[in-house]
Amino acid sequence: MNAGAPSRGAERVPALLVMHADLAAALLRAAAAVYGPIEGVETLSNSGHSRETLEDAIVDRVGHWTHGGLVLTDFWGGSCHTCGIRAARGRGEVVVVTGVNLPMLLDYLHNRDGAEAAGLAERLLRKGQDSVRVQRGQPA
Amino acid sequence: MSWLLHRVDDRLIHGQVVVAWGQRLRPARIWVVDDASAASTWETDLLRAAAPDAEVRVVTVAAMAEAWAAEAAAPGGAVLLVRDLATALALVEAGAAVRAFNIGGLHYAPGRDKVNEYVYLDGADRARARALLARGVALEVQDVPASRPQPLQALDPGVTAP
Repeated sequence: MNAGAPSRGAERVPALLVMHADLAAALLRAAAAVYGPIEGVETLSNSGHSRETLEDAIVDRVGHWTHGGLVLTDFWGGSCHTCGIRAARGRGEVVVVTGVNLPMLLDYLHNRDGAEAAGLAERLLRKGQDSVRVQRGQPA
Repeated sequence: MSWLLHRVDDRLIHGQVVVAWGQRLRPARIWVVDDASAASTWETDLLRAAAPDAEVRVVTVAAMAEAWAAEAAAPGGAVLLVRDLATALALVEAGAAVRAFNIGGLHYAPGRDKVNEYVYLDGADRARARALLARGVALEVQDVPASRPQPLQALDPGVTAP
């Protein structure tokens, strides 16, 4: 499931970030600051969209994915999630992930070549859960 | 207790409803009044999954009109969602004694004029708004609890001047 180092000519799992306000674009910029220039990831804001137009905008971007891909969204229950699920309906290899943070996006970038969408999504789920930690300040 | 909010929002259940209004009002039930969604088990399941902290009931306008008074007297709070002013008016005309609708999101579509960042209306919408106001139903524009509610007719004079 984990492809390890990208292999030449391997299929790359495409991704679309769909988030509130400017979060998707900002998250991608933050990832680029750590990872370097990023190709092949699209971003979409839900701002100004009705349910129907947001779903259409997602379909416009994932409809050409021939081997599936990931719709990465900010939180469960938001329009980015539910419209992503509606857009993924009938497209079995399009997987929606909620609660996406910077460690998850970086893990996607490092593992998207030669992977398959569902397995990569499970990997990102574990990465996201592992990335949220609490560390208290130490007494002086 | 029961009715806490009646909201017109073309996204139905989404972040503002689940997070902002949900945390403020803590509804026990969310009624999604939408004939198309009620006709689809798949859509009903998705709406239920989107708001795990409340019992989500997805019903037709006719079913909601029948159940509205009983819900008004039920224990626990309830939120009602419709996707547009046509459904809001149909619900009132069918007998639901709604006193006010929160206008939370009617986004841009061709032929609609901008009222504010999240409300766009066309002539038919304005006629429906007038019909609701004429029936004594207040229309308050407010996306989230922390923003100030404003009467729709104050933001859009076209609503009161046919």
